[in-house]
Amino acid sequence: MSARLPDPAGALIDRGRPIAFTFEGRDYPGYEGDTLASALWANEVRTLSRSFKYHRRRGVLTMAGQDANTLVQVGPSPNVPADRLALSPGLAASAVNTWGGVERDLWSVIGRLGRFLPAGFYYKSFFRPRWAWPLWEPVLRRVAGLGRVDTGAAHGDYDKQYMFADVAVIGAGPAGLAAADAAAAAGAEVVLIDENARLGGSLDYARVSGDVRARLVDAVAAQPAITVMTDTTCNGCFADNWLALIHGNRMIKLRAKAIVLASGSMEQPVVFRDNDLPGIMLGTAAQRLIRLYGVRPGRRAVVLCANGDGYGVALDLIEAGVTVACVADLRDAPGADARMEEVRARGVPLRPGATVREAVAGRDGTLSGALVAQVTGRGICAAPGERFECDLIAMSAGYMPTGALACHAGGRMVYDDTCHTFRVADAPHGMTLAGSVAGVHDLDAVVADGRAAGARAAGGDGGPAREPDDAGLNHPWPIFSHAGGHDFVDFDEDLQVKDIRDAVAEGYDHIELAKRFSTATMGPSQGRHSLLPTARLVAEATMGEVGATTARPPFAAETFGHLAGRAFEPVRRTAMHARHVEAGARMMPAGMWMRPAYYRPKHRREACIVEEVAAVRENVGLIDVSTLGGIEIRGPDAAEFMNRVYTFAYLKQPVGRGRYVLMTDRTGVIIDDGVACRFAEDHFYVTATTSGVDAVYRAMLWHNAQWRLAVDVTHVSAAYAAVNIAGPESRGVLAPLCADVDISAEAFPYMGVREGRVAGIPARLLRVGFVGELGFEIHVPAHAGEALWDALMEAGRGRGIRPFGVEAQRLLRLEKGHIIIGQDTDGLTHPLEADMAWAISRKKPYFVGKRAIALHEKVGLTRKMVGFEIGDAASLPEECHLVVRGAEITGRVTSAATSPTLGRVIGLAYVAPDQSEIGNTFTVKIAGGKLVEARVVKLPFYDPDGRRQEM
Amino acid sequence: MNPTDTPRRSFVARELVALGSAFTDIGGFAAPLTCGAPADEEAARARRLGLCDASALARGGYKGWTARDWLREQGVGVPEQNNRASRHDSALVARLADTEALILGGLDGGCALLDDLGAAPPPGGCYPVPRADANAAFIISGSDAPAMLAKLCAVDLRPRSFPDLSVAQTSVARLNAIVLRADIADTVAFHCLFDSASALYLWHCLIDAMAEFDGRPVGLAALRQL
Repeated sequence: MSARLPDPAGALIDRGRPIAFTFEGRDYPGYEGDTLASALWANEVRTLSRSFKYHRRRGVLTMAGQDANTLVQVGPSPNVPADRLALSPGLAASAVNTWGGVERDLWSVIGRLGRFLPAGFYYKSFFRPRWAWPLWEPVLRRVAGLGRVDTGAAHGDYDKQYMFADVAVIGAGPAGLAAADAAAAAGAEVVLIDENARLGGSLDYARVSGDVRARLVDAVAAQPAITVMTDTTCNGCFADNWLALIHGNRMIKLRAKAIVLASGSMEQPVVFRDNDLPGIMLGTAAQRLIRLYGVRPGRRAVVLCANGDGYGVALDLIEAGVTVACVADLRDAPGADARMEEVRARGVPLRPGATVREAVAGRDGTLSGALVAQVTGRGICAAPGERFECDLIAMSAGYMPTGALACHAGGRMVYDDTCHTFRVADAPHGMTLAGSVAGVHDLDAVVADGRAAGARAAGGDGGPAREPDDAGLNHPWPIFSHAGGHDFVDFDEDLQVKDIRDAVAEGYDHIELAKRFSTATMGPSQGRHSLLPTARLVAEATMGEVGATTARPPFAAETFGHLAGRAFEPVRRTAMHARHVEAGARMMPAGMWMRPAYYRPKHRREACIVEEVAAVRENVGLIDVSTLGGIEIRGPDAAEFMNRVYTFAYLKQPVGRGRYVLMTDRTGVIIDDGVACRFAEDHFYVTATTSGVDAVYRAMLWHNAQWRLAVDVTHVSAAYAAVNIAGPESRGVLAPLCADVDISAEAFPYMGVREGRVAGIPARLLRVGFVGELGFEIHVPAHAGEALWDALMEAGRGRGIRPFGVEAQRLLRLEKGHIIIGQDTDGLTHPLEADMAWAISRKKPYFVGKRAIALHEKVGLTRKMVGFEIGDAASLPEECHLVVRGAEITGRVTSAATSPTLGRVIGLAYVAPDQSEIGNTFTVKIAGGKLVEARVVKLPFYDPDGRRQEM
Repeated sequence: MNPTDTPRRSFVARELVALGSAFTDIGGFAAPLTCGAPADEEAARARRLGLCDASALARGGYKGWTARDWLREQGVGVPEQNNRASRHDSALVARLADTEALILGGLDGGCALLDDLGAAPPPGGCYPVPRADANAAFIISGSDAPAMLAKLCAVDLRPRSFPDLSVAQTSVARLNAIVLRADIADTVAFHCLFDSASALYLWHCLIDAMAEFDGRPVGLAALRQL
């Protein structure tokens, strides 16, 4: 059986390219250019889905993706509108939300229980008695929702893209085409956007005489300044004319200087009993089927109209070979219309002042007849009505402007009581409406309105906008409720007239409240057909004005892929990265950096770390410290600046020496630490922690914006790669590579800094003791980092030099009692509690945090950091395990490890001040609630005299 | 030659080697002359969309409250406005702020301007910025470059909106970057400077973004031929 019209009907289909597809497991033929819905309708498959709540049969309603009656599952993609899904070879689709297929959906039994499932029923059921909920929940999860997500689906690429235009024209119907042409003629760069596959809008399917479409499309094609984007949906309009466009897998972020919104208007259905049966569709849907796809919408039709366009639909049906059994016109006195006369002349029975009172289903559950009755009052019609056999009801009862995009950016829908439809008010600045979205429907006026809008958007004077001319197109009350129900106001949510009335009766007496209680307008079609009747019913029930709900993006469905786009996750790698990987390092993220945690395979992690520690303590090790922050402080006021931002004293720091730096904020809290190297009177090179340097740099700039000292602060962390070569043999490895700098103990004492060449590479050398052995930090230009690493590894090969990673470094520093900012300090730690009073200069008049620290000192300590040991080697606390005293928490462990060098458990912890004496014991609660005894010991644990690092 | 023959090596050296690049020594830095195809072919590609690792080319900067005046005294044509650049023989001078200028050497590798400036010690209030190592640099050339960059950068880089010698200090693929348009002959070309440690990350982002336009890495020889 085929409802396909003969050639040449169907502007979009290519009869030379047949396509076979599958729906619900059965094969059907179609053509390239068909949508799934048009091809199914051509095969007289009329039930395309089951409704959300009652599982009622649903078919084509708009044929334009404006409704959610035809959502299907296509492979891994759920909820694809069948009337927008292009047919492709091998397409296999199935209905969503069914149990047993769309024809024999077992859930349709719910429809018979409709009486017990009014709007909002789920707020009051399923949880009493309480034990019932766990039984209901799996059932509800099975029944609720639409479509299925395939979590095993292959990933796709969803790039995003920026675009710019002088004028963005949304909609390529007659108004949009004219606007784009006029704007381009005025010199603007134009982007013309349309969701359909080709330009033309309603000119493509409406009953139009003349060659308006061809003229307008050709004019646009002739303008090089117009970029045409078809198959592109404008999904959101944001501040300052920023538009979100969806094209395929891509979200395009378009910034336009001006926007012309020519998005047209949407035909509206009529509310009557069983108005959702397959076969009941909008008049424009029938026209789209005929003109775009060459499909006969039915065999025998009743046309239900409230304006002259309905008669145009009737004529289109007749010309397509459909028998029009009757035209029911909601208007008592339709007025003169040439189309109406022509329909009458063809012998079609006309019924003015009448409506369809009830649709009748046939044995297959789709439309088989209509009861047409006289309208006797507002929303009232006479019973029982005249019966007409039909398999198609085409509704042309009015239009609603597609103004959602204007509302995204601040516009409002305001009801016009004389024309019985919404108007868009307060369109955002920079947006002009043109065409039927602005209430202009006469074709010549639409084109003129578009031209004026386009010229105006391009900065010229386009002349005045056209006044709306849609009086008489819309009916004030196309809602005929029925005692038996099934008079659907919202198809997506299966809401009937009484559901809206009941919501208001429950007390939800405002459209926004009634919407949320009943869920009207909240389904996939977002109120495109349900807003008008819902707003009217709420207004009637509350005796108030017809209001509207807030429209928000997205306009049409978009996927998470579109929103997420391409993931850009920057990664920073040091110059030696490849060498670490080649040496078998296990890399770990440290902020945005990748650093080696330890070298060699995972199953030997503890052993590797122990070996690396031993290598440094006894021989020589090499660690990449390129991630450390570096800042150049240069200028006549450099030392003064250092004195103010750090706690220690720097004015008299000798050139050629390094000095510890500790930074506190205004509240005296420790922010960061490092080493300041004085290379000249007016030049300090300051290091900072990997994760703290950006905040330190910003703080420095912020302070100097106020102090205005003669100093330049330059962030050079990325400019220098750096290593720390450490261990008793380190000097022996390094010396041969230093041709122009003497690194002997006498010439280069502990905490000295030098500049010279290492392996021919210009370098800054620092003798620092973070790990507590003789060691040198070598900073070189970043691009030479790998060469430096290679040279040192080669030079140390004879001595068995070993690379060591972050894990070993953390252990080594712990053995020396050195704190790590952010691990051993928290958001409140000040220097006195961290045992760093030695790093505070008492003689400086000012540094950031001085006053606060003085106050802390006056008030006294509430906690103190101490070093501790635990005798029981099996009891290793973790960071943040608590120090307890009876029922009281007096502190916590911040670092702890089994020291391979010392052979016992050591760590740092905060304890109460009266617990902090050397030799005192305290209790730590470790994993499993076990209580262990720790003993306070003097720091550092290893090499207390510091001899090893000062060799 | 091999990148490991020189002390200074690009952060994307291994990617270049994998492409079959041929290298040349520019001041102790192995620079890619070609990236696996003959220079003529790469030049044709560079006219449509090419990506060149320009990290080996000379790069420097000066900042401070006397920097602009000192540079002008040295005969450097610092532009009158921020975010504009000027040509100085084969070098480019970009004014990033009232107190900072960026200097890029030409495609041949050296930069007489930077050498001269480096020889004369600047006065107090003017300090050199180590851009040769703080930044890595890529040159993206060709008529498709603006469309490709539109997937990574929110600035309108179309030729009509971003004329030659314009500078944008912006974000590219979530990295802070300086984008400087400096056409090579009549081919649109963008110099991108960004954090050197992120070079490999950005290289992969650009390779991926270029695929849609059939863009490929090209060497310096191709750019020199434009």
